Amino acid sequence: MSAAGAQSLRPAWGPSLGRWLWLGPLLLSMLVPFAWMVAISLAPAAGTSFLRALAGPWNLDHYVALFAAAGVGRYLVNSALVAFAVVSLNVATAAMVGYILGRRRVPGERWWTLGIVATLMLPKQVLMIPLYLVLARMHLLDTYAALVLPFAVDAFSIFLVRQFVIGLPIELEEAARVDGASDWLVFRRVVLPLLKPVLAVVAIQSFLANWNSFLFPLIFVDSDRLRTLPVGLALLSQTEHSVDWGFLMAGSTVASLPVLAVFLAFQRQILSGLLAGAEK
Amino acid sequence: MSATIHRSGAAHGSRATAWAFLSPWVIAFGLFGLFPFAFSLAASFTDYSPIRAGGASFVGLANYARALSDPAFWSALGNTAFFVVGTIPFTTTLALALALAVQPAFRGRTLFRVGFFVPSVVSVVVLSLVFKGLYASNGALDGVLRALGLTPPAWLLDPRTALPAIMAMDVWSASGYYMIIFLAGLEAIPRELYDAARLEGASRRAQLAHITLPLLRPTLLFVLVVNTVRSLQIFAEVFVMTRGGPLHSTTTVVYYLYEEAFYRFNLGYASAVAYLLFLITLALAWVQMKTVRPAGPEAR
Repeated sequence: MSAAGAQSLRPAWGPSLGRWLWLGPLLLSMLVPFAWMVAISLAPAAGTSFLRALAGPWNLDHYVALFAAAGVGRYLVNSALVAFAVVSLNVATAAMVGYILGRRRVPGERWWTLGIVATLMLPKQVLMIPLYLVLARMHLLDTYAALVLPFAVDAFSIFLVRQFVIGLPIELEEAARVDGASDWLVFRRVVLPLLKPVLAVVAIQSFLANWNSFLFPLIFVDSDRLRTLPVGLALLSQTEHSVDWGFLMAGSTVASLPVLAVFLAFQRQILSGLLAGAEK
Repeated sequence: MSATIHRSGAAHGSRATAWAFLSPWVIAFGLFGLFPFAFSLAASFTDYSPIRAGGASFVGLANYARALSDPAFWSALGNTAFFVVGTIPFTTTLALALALAVQPAFRGRTLFRVGFFVPSVVSVVVLSLVFKGLYASNGALDGVLRALGLTPPAWLLDPRTALPAIMAMDVWSASGYYMIIFLAGLEAIPRELYDAARLEGASRRAQLAHITLPLLRPTLLFVLVVNTVRSLQIFAEVFVMTRGGPLHSTTTVVYYLYEEAFYRFNLGYASAVAYLLFLITLALAWVQMKTVRPAGPEAR
């Protein structure tokens, strides 16, 4: 974000006031639902009433009930395991494929890139039935692999790395080659360290997307012990917990904390990554 | 992988390593992209169902004909169209207004950029559960309306208001994301253009009409296409909040697809519906490209 000017020359409060007057209430209205979520999760018996929830007293009863309920702890572990696997594979494959495409090292580089852009534009839901059938044929339905393998290589991540590599000077790699380094050594010792910033963006974005993923985990997995948190939460909300708002909001808060923490910690990289991606 | 391939000297490295590096994409694209895509096209011409004895038989275009003559399909398509037409103008306008507001430097700019984006990072399941609670009868929203002396509708329980209630949530939750995309477009417009315009005495409004908006056309196109493709696939909201009801008033195409495929196990038929959705998506994206692009000057 082009905040360089803002740091050296901090704008005064006066002219900012006009924007605060209309952006402030708007921001508040966007954040109130989340305040409601947390308040309801902490209030023992507030139903859906914001006022009663805010009045307190607060305790963690709903969170205790949540983790005592069938499988919620397991859902959380599953979400974390799947996210870790998908993010790691995504970063590794995006680095390799993005690098080679950015350097135009394969014949038909243009066509491979076109295929990646086409995949980006394709509505994923079109593939939900055929992917289900392919996984069934591979005997992978209802396994962790079904939650990981189809998402291990991501077109958007590859595209981000490719764009980044195009902007990197090639001289360092050539110098290393002249010194007799192998392709793999050049990649590992010279290229990978340079890719760190873009790989961080890839990791963060693929974490956010994967943690929140719903449709595919819903249809690829049938056993309760393999469910991820969003799916488990959605299904719990359609059982006897359907109007147990304190319980559901405790679950919602738990499901939101990791993504909110990652977002707030890395907001600069996330927003600038999106800004860079959209310009291409 | 490929750590064993060694070859030094060549300034551009070896072909074999290049292919090894590309292989993850080739495998994933083939196995989880191209092959399923072709496979579902083939399946859409059969009556395949895993719960019925015997194999699948070729039925030609019967699945497509069935979809096009099924009132439930048309109703789902109508709901989806209503969703697209009823959300995208609002989301786009709000996102653009927010982007214009948070672009120039002012105190607290980052707070707003980050704050408006928050709904975009939270799971749709969570957003849907929260709004289901807010829309609950005698819930928080009803309380506000009663305090204002209004009679609240039944929201998700009334076929007339259920879909608009979900759409309102979508505008609320999606605007921040498209704000950031618009911001990228705004930051890419060369500063010099504004400097020159100011020298010639152009007003703020004139700068917006003659510089900002025309140069934002490619971004606008991107936002419209991406948001349309996304809106045509609305599913989790419906699954969590209404299960397609009441009276199928919130059954979107993808929800219909899900029920046909994984409740009734009509996988051949559902494949045909998926292909129809794909064709509709392509057609809409194409129309948007044709209408938004030609008048625009060559930007960037």
